[in-house]
Amino acid sequence: MPSIFEKAEPYLFLTPALAILLIFLIFPLFWNTYISLHDVSLTTILRGWEYIGGTNFINLFNDPNFYTSLKVTLMFVGGSVALQFGIGMLMSVLLHQQVRASGVLRAIFIIPWTISAVIAAFSFKFIFDYNFGILNYLLNEIGLQSVGWLSDPSIVIWSLVIANVWYGTPFTILFLTAGLLSINPTIYEAAVIDGATKIRSFIYITLPLLKPFIVINLILITMWSVNFFDIQLIMTGGGPLFASTTASLYMYRQAFEFGLLSKGASAGIVLIAINISIAFIYHKLFRR
Amino acid sequence: MKISKVICTSLVLTIVLVVSLAPGFTTPVVAQKQQVTLTAIVAEPKERWDILFNDALQKLREKHPDIDIQVDYRVLPYDATRTQILTAMVGRTPIDLISVDQIWLGEFAQGEFLTDLTERANTWGKEKDWYKTNWDGGKYNNKVYGIWAWTDVRAMWYWKDLLNQASLDPNSLKTWNGYITGAKQLNDALKGQGIQGMHLVGASHSPDMWYPYLWMLGGEILEQKSGHPTKGTYWFPAYNSTEGVRALEFIKEQINAGIKPQINHFWGQEFADKKFAVMLEGSWLLGTFPREQWANIDQRVGMLPMFSVPNENNMTATMMGGWILSIPETSKNKDLSWELLTLMVEPEVLTPMLQKEGYLPTQKPIGEGPYASQLNTTIPYYNEMISMISVGHSRPNVPEYPQIADNIKQAIDEIYFGAKEPKQALNEAALKSAKVLGW
Repeated sequence: MPSIFEKAEPYLFLTPALAILLIFLIFPLFWNTYISLHDVSLTTILRGWEYIGGTNFINLFNDPNFYTSLKVTLMFVGGSVALQFGIGMLMSVLLHQQVRASGVLRAIFIIPWTISAVIAAFSFKFIFDYNFGILNYLLNEIGLQSVGWLSDPSIVIWSLVIANVWYGTPFTILFLTAGLLSINPTIYEAAVIDGATKIRSFIYITLPLLKPFIVINLILITMWSVNFFDIQLIMTGGGPLFASTTASLYMYRQAFEFGLLSKGASAGIVLIAINISIAFIYHKLFRR
Repeated sequence: MKISKVICTSLVLTIVLVVSLAPGFTTPVVAQKQQVTLTAIVAEPKERWDILFNDALQKLREKHPDIDIQVDYRVLPYDATRTQILTAMVGRTPIDLISVDQIWLGEFAQGEFLTDLTERANTWGKEKDWYKTNWDGGKYNNKVYGIWAWTDVRAMWYWKDLLNQASLDPNSLKTWNGYITGAKQLNDALKGQGIQGMHLVGASHSPDMWYPYLWMLGGEILEQKSGHPTKGTYWFPAYNSTEGVRALEFIKEQINAGIKPQINHFWGQEFADKKFAVMLEGSWLLGTFPREQWANIDQRVGMLPMFSVPNENNMTATMMGGWILSIPETSKNKDLSWELLTLMVEPEVLTPMLQKEGYLPTQKPIGEGPYASQLNTTIPYYNEMISMISVGHSRPNVPEYPQIADNIKQAIDEIYFGAKEPKQALNEAALKSAKVLGW
């Protein structure tokens, strides 16, 4: 009969992980929820916090700028995920072929991901600048008019998507390459013997076997794009006319620029809800 | 038993020997000085603080020979300064001195982060030495929370050769009509050279460049109004007045004349790089030119100490910025910090820094007194810039200001992108601001 220590042993091994989870995830989540239900701003933070129930959420949903930020988030995340996944998949499949120096190419492609998002954002801010930017310089060189990459409300979000795709795609390349390497090559050899073309092999072998990697990759890049705000903050500050204010940037600005900590916390709760919904949708979609 | 006795005795003897040979036993004990380290969080650039802290600390040490005083100051970028100060205050971290942007003062004072310096300032008795706007900028709810150390003004800078190329008399830019005509003339003349005629701020501080037009017409950003649901008399948005609408219509005229709002702002570098022929920018623009060029910069770059006025009878206006020095509520050395602060703003300590960095004084003895000639000889257009202090205004330092500025920015953006008419844009913004102010 196992002793009490033997029974408790597995749980003891779990303790460090659970403690980290509790301190760094569960506690902040509850603390954030607590703040979102109270009236906390920079000017009241050192005094008693008044309980105001769902008022912060009501204020949030009554703010037209919040809806604009949700719309912008949809465009930013949709564009970023589609392009990051599409380009990432294409690149990882190409690199998986017996290409000479594919290892070196993989290392080169990973460089953007190793750079700080802040540096990437500043670089793109200069690339897209109306007067100083290299992009407009090249357009002018071939006789075209300068484009307001960051100043035109109808274009700005796509400029941010380009920056985010450049920054985020290497992760997809790396992740899917790992997935491709995990597929047993003999399956492809058998398929070739059976007369399968490369495209049919890709559709009927690669994609199904890569599905777990694809699901996790999609969940991660979607959540990161939802939560990401460095690029928007540095490149445009959310402007012009809120055309690049995503929900995460909206949350940051409410809390840290305007000092409305509880309104920012409520926006944070909504973002968590969005992230959980996304994970749930992906899970449902790819369950079969 | 015997062995243990020997060991114990030798151990005791060794300890006695070591202790008796220690420096404290062999040399006479000198009375230790009280050690105090004052901590500070200040905003970049660093050089200005190096000069100020160094000179002021030396004087402070002379005044307190019995104390070993050190200053540990952290210099942070603008945005990080605010965040770090707030984090420190909320965490009750003892900080002795901070640099506060004038628009943060109300928020910080309301949050009880700052020490009320009213009594100390009254005893100090230097209020009369400060320009009124600058002294008042350090006050919130009639209490002094900080001393405005230095300032800057926004003025009109132009490249003389580019205006010549367009056959444009700089004096014609003094009026709104002249400015609009000049913009077209410059754009035509400079077409194909990669140079734009006039600069128009489209970055987050665009309201700061609109306020002077509002002020010169007699308008205000906020005004006191009675009947507030919880505060009795409180601030109410006034920027959507007829003066505000007229001021925003002038911005619309600029857009119609082909002036493009610039989303990215490089604080004068774009002017120094000759990307624009005319730029409304702060006095710090001079800092973008190498110091050795200052002596004869007036031969190449011209300056009009004004924002254009509707007609020549109008008095111009400008906006003043700069830094306020405050003592956080968490300071454990408030008296010593106050002494250090007052030493830092002493003309003798402050003037060399202003001279080196090109900032403008908030004190009359420096601006107009014996120190003025010293600054006038080194800072180009110093007298012209000083003349603008009399028409300088500051932004309201109410805690809600960041949100109000955001509302105004949205209205300006709506004009930039032709989304709304000035009256509608300002009225909608004012409605939001009123809500933010609790009306």
